[in-house]
Amino acid sequence: MRERSNNRSFAWALLTTNLKAAAALRGAFVMQVVFMMLNNLTFFVFWWALMRRVPDLRGWRLGDIQVLFGIVAAGFGLTVTLAGGVRDLSRLIDGGELDTLLVQPKPVLLHALGLRLQASGFGDVLSGLVFIAWSGQVTWRMAPLVLLAIAASAIVVLACGIVFHSLTFWLGNVDTVARQLWELLITFALYPEPLFGGVLRLVLFTLLPAGFVGYVPARVAQRPTAALVAITIAAAAAYLLFAAAVFERGLKRYASGSRFGVHG
Amino acid sequence: MRTASAVSKYIAFARVATALARRDRGELYGRMLFFAVILGVFSSLWRAVAEAGMPIAADPRLLVWYLATTEWIILSAPPVHAELQESIRRGDVVCRLGRPVSYVGAAFAEALGLLAVRAPVLAATAWACAFAFTGWIPPLAPLALTLPLGFAAAALIAAMYLWIGLLAFWLEDVSPVFWVVQKLLFVFGGLMLPIELYPRAMQIAAAWTPFPVMLAGPASFVLRQSAADSLTLALEQAAWGGGIAFAVWWAFRRASATLTINGG
Repeated sequence: MRERSNNRSFAWALLTTNLKAAAALRGAFVMQVVFMMLNNLTFFVFWWALMRRVPDLRGWRLGDIQVLFGIVAAGFGLTVTLAGGVRDLSRLIDGGELDTLLVQPKPVLLHALGLRLQASGFGDVLSGLVFIAWSGQVTWRMAPLVLLAIAASAIVVLACGIVFHSLTFWLGNVDTVARQLWELLITFALYPEPLFGGVLRLVLFTLLPAGFVGYVPARVAQRPTAALVAITIAAAAAYLLFAAAVFERGLKRYASGSRFGVHG
Repeated sequence: MRTASAVSKYIAFARVATALARRDRGELYGRMLFFAVILGVFSSLWRAVAEAGMPIAADPRLLVWYLATTEWIILSAPPVHAELQESIRRGDVVCRLGRPVSYVGAAFAEALGLLAVRAPVLAATAWACAFAFTGWIPPLAPLALTLPLGFAAAALIAAMYLWIGLLAFWLEDVSPVFWVVQKLLFVFGGLMLPIELYPRAMQIAAAWTPFPVMLAGPASFVLRQSAADSLTLALEQAAWGGGIAFAVWWAFRRASATLTINGG
């Protein structure tokens, strides 16, 4: 019980330290946030132009795509804001840079994830919320479910990042591959579910769970049922536990890099 | 004689970059995989659009080949801004400025070297994937024209990324500028959707930017199934190439004039 409370305060300390560091370069911080929002809005122009001509795409309308896009953007943004270190996990493992974390009386994974905060993540979260509000599909009463959907999406994105990067423990430097797999996960999550069928659909709900990053949480935000909410929470918890187990298993194979380094 | 000697220096830079790109194939394989996935997603999307009964193009197969061409161009262009930014951040730029070659010229030669490796491999991937997803090949004459014009377009994009990288002399992080320029390229260049399908105001705005000659221009030969107007496009590319070269030269001139070197 006490350990859990310690971990919570440690995670909070990591977050506040990262926030202070990001806020120290205020101009760069604001620019990253604003430009990421612009980036997301510009990307959406494609859907806007297409859906003007094709209002119904296998049952999906522009509002549905806005909710999907909003959930994925906010989920991804939340991940890189709270656990920005996930992107560098592969490099940390391969370069032997986990040494400095291993000697500290704190959970290694939590520490590694909290090492960085990506300021652009705030832009993703904000633009995600704008997309959801703008969709006209979600009422204020649904706000708690929207937040739940975003959190579940973020957890699955994070879990996949941990698993992809943890492959380094067994395969050596897979940084590029891990980043590309993560990119693929987001790419698939951004397109309407009915576009995918057959084996690919199965893959998108298991090995590359774009379904739990986008489609299922988006449905929770729009048309929730008790079963759907339960599935969303269970899937997020299962993927996170699996990711933590993979990392812990990998950590047993970790070979020191014999490096000296300091993490503030 | 002097010109030949000057050119040979840049050829050497390009050859070194080519050799490095051949050795480090991980990223290229990742791009090939991403290519296959994105074409798969879009071939499914265009089928869904055709099912919706909207005549947004004569044939969804043409749109897949159009996307194969635009994606080939954009994925071939090396994102040189990232390395340039690192070089400026670390201060390595100071060591490189003293060499008897133009700093930006050498960086562009390296980009062309990378392009020389990526473009043929990705062109083969593009054509193979587009054929696999459509079971059809467009007329060979316009398709063959996309190769030189697409290569020139990718070189223009690389030069634009070079200009973005030079902004690191003034900005803490050039990534936000890159994201926005890249997304403008996606929209005004007609990456996923031909420009003719956007609203009139956007088509007019796009015509004032260099983006259409970088993507939609070369890819439209596939869409129109005709080789007409290729000379016009080549001239437009040359004109925008001159404009971008001037922007790069001016940015570098301003940067080197204000550069302060401390320590040694």
